[in-house]
Amino acid sequence: MENTINDKVISKNDTLAEKELKLRSKKKSELASTIIINVLIAIFALIWIIPIVWLLVTAFSKYRGIDTAHFFPAQGWTLDNFKIVLFEPDSVVQYMAWFKNTLVIAIFSCIISTVFVLMVSYVFSCMRFRGRQAMMKFSIILNMFPGVLSMIAVYFVMKQLGLTNSHVGMVIVYSAGSGLGYLICKGFMDTIPTSIREAARLDGASEAEIFFKIILPLSKPIIVYTVISAFLAPWADFVFAKLMLNSGISSDWTVAIGLYNMLGKDLKSHYFSIFCAGGLLISIPISALFVLMQKYYVEGVTGGASKG
Amino acid sequence: MASKHEVHASNTREAFANFFKGIGEYFSDFGKAITKGDIGVKLSTIFMGAGYFARKKYIVGILATLFEALFVVMCIFYAAPNLAKFGTLGTTVRSTQFDPVTMQNTVIKGDNSFLILLNSVIALFLIFVFILLWIHNIKRAYELQQDSEKGMHINTFVEDVKSLVNGRFNITLLTLPTIGVILMNVIPILILIAIAFTNYDQQHMPPSALFTWVGITNFKNILSLSNNSAFGYAFFKVLGWTLVWAFFSTFTCFLGGIVMAKLITYRKVKFPKFWRTLFVVTIAVPQFVTLLLVRYFFGDTGIVNSICSSIGVTDFLKTIGLVKSHLTYIPFLTSPGWSKFMIVMINIWVGVPYQMLVATGVLINIPESQVESAKLDGANAWQIFWHVTMPYVMFVEGPTLITDFVRNINNFNVIYLLTQDTFVTTNQQLANANAKEVDLLVTWLFRLTNDYYNYKMASVIGIIVFIICAVFSLIAFSKFLSGGREESYQ
Repeated sequence: MENTINDKVISKNDTLAEKELKLRSKKKSELASTIIINVLIAIFALIWIIPIVWLLVTAFSKYRGIDTAHFFPAQGWTLDNFKIVLFEPDSVVQYMAWFKNTLVIAIFSCIISTVFVLMVSYVFSCMRFRGRQAMMKFSIILNMFPGVLSMIAVYFVMKQLGLTNSHVGMVIVYSAGSGLGYLICKGFMDTIPTSIREAARLDGASEAEIFFKIILPLSKPIIVYTVISAFLAPWADFVFAKLMLNSGISSDWTVAIGLYNMLGKDLKSHYFSIFCAGGLLISIPISALFVLMQKYYVEGVTGGASKG
Repeated sequence: MASKHEVHASNTREAFANFFKGIGEYFSDFGKAITKGDIGVKLSTIFMGAGYFARKKYIVGILATLFEALFVVMCIFYAAPNLAKFGTLGTTVRSTQFDPVTMQNTVIKGDNSFLILLNSVIALFLIFVFILLWIHNIKRAYELQQDSEKGMHINTFVEDVKSLVNGRFNITLLTLPTIGVILMNVIPILILIAIAFTNYDQQHMPPSALFTWVGITNFKNILSLSNNSAFGYAFFKVLGWTLVWAFFSTFTCFLGGIVMAKLITYRKVKFPKFWRTLFVVTIAVPQFVTLLLVRYFFGDTGIVNSICSSIGVTDFLKTIGLVKSHLTYIPFLTSPGWSKFMIVMINIWVGVPYQMLVATGVLINIPESQVESAKLDGANAWQIFWHVTMPYVMFVEGPTLITDFVRNINNFNVIYLLTQDTFVTTNQQLANANAKEVDLLVTWLFRLTNDYYNYKMASVIGIIVFIICAVFSLIAFSKFLSGGREESYQ
């Protein structure tokens, strides 16, 4: 009898001790896994950030070419690269002119693209008319045809119109077909309750009034998203700019082509650090806009969902 | 499964039936308008304004007739001279002739095949649009006739104009975007298709030489598997790599994005916002900056190579045979095998942060109840990931996965910026077709046009790429967007 009780007590004590041990080892393993996972993510971050750091430090390097032996500039640090980029244009570096060109092209194509996208989105989202389905399907098929493929023909059409090597031509190339990219914006407008529009119609508002006074003010996040993404496109585009602005007059170029040209066979040993400085300068506003765009995109998508 | 297929088939059949039914109705309406219309409607087949005059809509009638007159003028002075030469694409080459009277060379202005082609395509397009408007006009005239017979109110001109901001606001809004799309997308695609059936290349460059129709010769040339066709050989090689690349780049970035998102949102990770910002910064820098930079980072004499050789990695790779023994560097972006590997790796670097952003958004919205019930059933973290998380992510991201795949088929930037100028092919057959091992169809196309003026082949490649992309997209749409799928997670 006693024995069994004792046994029980012992076994009880045993399990308690065991539990504590288990808990401790669990804590230990938890700590270990926390460390492992944080180290892992730090390693990933390091891999991802190394080229950006290289861009940053090379932009301040005294040595103009590509330093093949040292990661950090071995010949010392300087601000000269930025000075050349910003204030001392030569036959190769026309950074401020490029910046101005790209800015003008971006502003105009952004305005036209945004207006087109909003118009098309409104029509397909809020209006019902014959041929709507057919037009939407046709536009989806047309949009599958990548712009890069038809660029020769685009080039010839523009050449026929006398618009190659002109910034007007670039604006047209970037914005004329933008009406096809309406899907995201239409998706947002689809979430605006139809009851709002119907109420306005009962009050005697015309379609135009509904568009300007009701739908547009409600679409702010997606408008901001559309504006920023349309504004960013010319800064990032490389193909069309290279094809269209082929006169060889460097002051006509956009930033992308100008920077690319700096890394040509004969130039890169003299201009690599300047390329980095220029690339860094352009990256700062673009990154800021990009982050802003992401924010509005998320706001547009999630905000729209909660509204509907 | 069988029933599902049947549903698909019946959907497609229905869509086709609807399509043809629509076309049938379109023409039967037109026939009805002509046969049952009064004299005004019948006359409007010749004078477009007649139907409006009959209903006392004089301003619209005048405008319609003016439009028609304008079209006739266009036909006489623009369409006719170009279309007359459309069959041959021009016969007289530009030449100079000595004129004994003036003792000077006079230039005989010859034909320009390309201008004939371009103008003919535009003219044909305009004629097509005119016919549509002409049919629409007759139908409209008949509608007006019916309205007036029923004694309904017929809009005055002012009311017509006003309706452009109300009932017909869609016309007002769509006009400019449509013209833009026609100019930038439709006309170029039509021209591209036409060029694919000509011999437009460097030997046939207008205005000094003419080009003409050659039928499907170019297609035969590129699709032939025989060894004497450089283009056939290059095409299948490039196509193969394009598909392999599209597959790997899409799936590595997709999986990488999910893993990264999972990792960052894991509860034990400190400062998740800081890490996320770090990753986002790398995609915010324009690709032409980062990719060009990375290209020199991994150059033959680049910094990675210096480091690798100083710590002995280069020698190690030589001994295991991954680097040829006569090289003193690792050919990251200069040998076919290494470049393909590196391009996919660098693309992971470019693409994963973006996919991470997308995946984070998707993962947040996973239905909590499913995870909870899986836990109650005793599933471990791994099982939950594979049986709850992944199906959900695939459900949400499935369609984008296909669009990403199509986008990667056409991923010009990564390939061009990483390999242009630095990668030189040693494969003579590829070089004959101006292709490289690392080329995608689009970069090959770009080089053919931009550097070698081989427009005929570039156009053929363009059409083939379009067909490939369209097939994948259609599969995606029928698989992911067909009926009955939406409710799965509602």
